[in-house]
Amino acid sequence: MIDPSLTQSFLAAAAELGMCSAAWLLVRELAAEGGAAQVATIRDYLGREFPVLDAVCARYLAGQLAPVVDPAPVVAACADAARVLVVGLEADFLDALVPALDAEVGLLTHSELDVDWDRVLANYGGRVVPCDLASFQRFAGSRGALVTFLYGVRASSAHVNPTWLRVIAGDVRAQFRTLIGWDVLGSEMFVYPRWLVQAPLADFSHVVP
Amino acid sequence: MPPPHPPGRHVPSSAITSFIVPSEIEALLAPWLAEPADRAFVARCILAEGPAHHRGTNFVLLRLLGLLAQRHAPTTPLGPTVAVPIRLPPRLAAGHDDADYPLAFPRRVLERLAPPGSPTLDAMVDCVTDGPPQHALANAAMLCLLDALLASAEPPA
Repeated sequence: MIDPSLTQSFLAAAAELGMCSAAWLLVRELAAEGGAAQVATIRDYLGREFPVLDAVCARYLAGQLAPVVDPAPVVAACADAARVLVVGLEADFLDALVPALDAEVGLLTHSELDVDWDRVLANYGGRVVPCDLASFQRFAGSRGALVTFLYGVRASSAHVNPTWLRVIAGDVRAQFRTLIGWDVLGSEMFVYPRWLVQAPLADFSHVVP
Repeated sequence: MPPPHPPGRHVPSSAITSFIVPSEIEALLAPWLAEPADRAFVARCILAEGPAHHRGTNFVLLRLLGLLAQRHAPTTPLGPTVAVPIRLPPRLAAGHDDADYPLAFPRRVLERLAPPGSPTLDAMVDCVTDGPPQHALANAAMLCLLDALLASAEPPA
């Protein structure tokens, strides 16, 4: 029997960890408790509501036991960047990326969900600074990079956090030397990706698998 | 009500994007931009932003100038340069320490047309560096190439 409050609990976790990171956390806990059957059950129960969770469950059930987190290609794309601004939140990936960067790192503190940004930023011990929509171009320049997370990559598009669309536009693309999309999911989603929006891959200078 | 454009007057956008090869423009920027990432950034602004006809025109003119420059083996030391500003919101641009594109052009190329320090030179600089980056950066790239071509056309001192 699934506790109905799990929906709200997952949403709270997804707000401050990211949809993909929260999904892997839940899947790990469920699998440890009840194995693949428990993962299949939660996929059926919450998958329509949370498509990234659905996709993560599908990957677990297909044999992938943990997310693939390799910051190296992102670090390479950020080579000699002085400032890196992250748009969107995926804790598993940000935790790996931040220590590997030799640059000022900012996190855009804007979300469609209810986020306690002080609590999120406290995880990085001052290494990540907050930045709002009104001043994010402080990170722009010939040594400026923007990073966001992609949820599945198709031939010419990917799904992104809606905040990305509040940031990216023709003028902004020409203000940052490097525009990185980092695919954190590794597959397309089986159900309609509510919570996310589609963005053209042409918006990015680097698409990192 | 004006009549619609006659059919066939304009080519499809894909016909324009198909002849634009960014790597060719990145290659011809190499004498002025040592970093591949800088070349990719500038080429992206010149060829992947703005209306299709500007992208195509930028490619055509730069490629032709590049063909000439190849023949005449350019690039003397640049001397004083003029930066192309990144168009940031004004309240953020003030005090920003990285608010110029990596491509600058030699001031001496415009000094062929107007005396150093003159209001005319300032006006010319303002014209070629203003506007959206697909214009300003294409202008800067063309001025780099023209500077090299003009220098190579002069008899040795």
